[in-house]
Amino acid sequence: MQKAIRAIAVLLIVGFLFALIIYNNTNPGKSDIKVWNEAMTLGDVETAEHIFYDYTDIMCPYCDKFALAMDAHLEDFKKEYVEEKKVFYELRLTNLLASYHPDEDGLVANSTNSAAAGYCAADQNKFWEWYGWILKKLDNDYFSKGIGDSAGAKQRVPKLDVSYFTKVGDKIEDLDENELSKCVVSDSTSATVKKWSQKASKIVQSGLPYYAFNSYVSPGFDGNWEVEHDWKNAKTMFDAGIASKK
Amino acid sequence: MTKKVKYLLTTLSDRTKFAMVSIGYLLRQPKYLACFIVSLFLFLYVLSFFKNGSSNFLLLFSGISFGAKMELLGKVVLDMFANFTDLYGLLIIALSILQALTIMLLVFTWSHREKEHAIDGASTGSIGAIFGFVALGCPTCGISLLTPLLTAIAGTGAIAAAEDISRVLIVLAFVLLIYTVIKLGYISFITISTNKYKEKKYAKGN
Repeated sequence: MQKAIRAIAVLLIVGFLFALIIYNNTNPGKSDIKVWNEAMTLGDVETAEHIFYDYTDIMCPYCDKFALAMDAHLEDFKKEYVEEKKVFYELRLTNLLASYHPDEDGLVANSTNSAAAGYCAADQNKFWEWYGWILKKLDNDYFSKGIGDSAGAKQRVPKLDVSYFTKVGDKIEDLDENELSKCVVSDSTSATVKKWSQKASKIVQSGLPYYAFNSYVSPGFDGNWEVEHDWKNAKTMFDAGIASKK
Repeated sequence: MTKKVKYLLTTLSDRTKFAMVSIGYLLRQPKYLACFIVSLFLFLYVLSFFKNGSSNFLLLFSGISFGAKMELLGKVVLDMFANFTDLYGLLIIALSILQALTIMLLVFTWSHREKEHAIDGASTGSIGAIFGFVALGCPTCGISLLTPLLTAIAGTGAIAAAEDISRVLIVLAFVLLIYTVIKLGYISFITISTNKYKEKKYAKGN
């Protein structure tokens, strides 16, 4: 009898914990603002039938697996999802990794500076070009070598100079590099990063990346750095998002 | 104090050796080898399925097509083999091996009327397995089951602490599973030795 009670108690605890995990994953905080930054969106929010939000931090390797696959298939995404399926997609850039690891100077600086550079590139309406550029750079220099904030990572990315995120050279046409450098260290940009990251922290409950595609919400991304494989997984998530519309 | 520690260490070392002998013996028996392989496959599959937190689970219960769900389940089999290529995967394999050994030893002790020991082993092993299951992954990367659990209890501020808690839980999972394997392995050794002794005695008597 005692053993049966013990077994039932263990089962109940396990069941409760699992239910809690699923409940917390599927009931995120709600965003009261439809669009955070126009330059970081694809599609038209007014006419869209599906709303996709992607919460990210540029220093987060799993976010970047998804983003690299998206970047490589941006035209496919625009045609298949934005045009045909009327999807509105917004990338919501944060420095949440900095708040998850406040004692790691390098990560705090990299996460904050990269987010700031993203908002500054958006100010010049060059966000998507800059984003593709920085993703490839980080992947090439660190993430593909197993360096970063990920499971089994050998080490963290070292503290990078602000110029790492702003020295675009001639890679992006019409992006004013000097303006970008000044903007990244400005107080108003810091305030912008802080404001959106604080908003995101109330919504994101399971670490980054965090996807809210209609009412389908999912933390993490199952990728392996192989772009076609990752794109296929991303599409499965988009389809789950579209199917979740009530 | 030193004497006591020395004694404990010697006992642990002896029991570990006996446990290894009994595990080796059981793995040579087709019935227990099959039990080990099936358990290993099951644990490796489940841990690989949750390798990226709850993302696969959520997709499985999302509105994607039946074919896509089957593809998702099949993909996990490939992911099982991909575990051999990285450090995180090797951790999953090590946990799966320990859990499979625990199941094999549990089956043996249970079937040899050592039910009390089997229940003790099952309790400790289950706690170890749950710790390992929940704490695997990278809590701040959205690929650990620990983070949503913590934030449900303590709010989003708990994410920052998740990584430290995860490390502690992983160590505890290994300690508990290794302890269970040694304990059940030692009991299996005694059972095997006793049975062999009885068989010899019976053979002599005849």
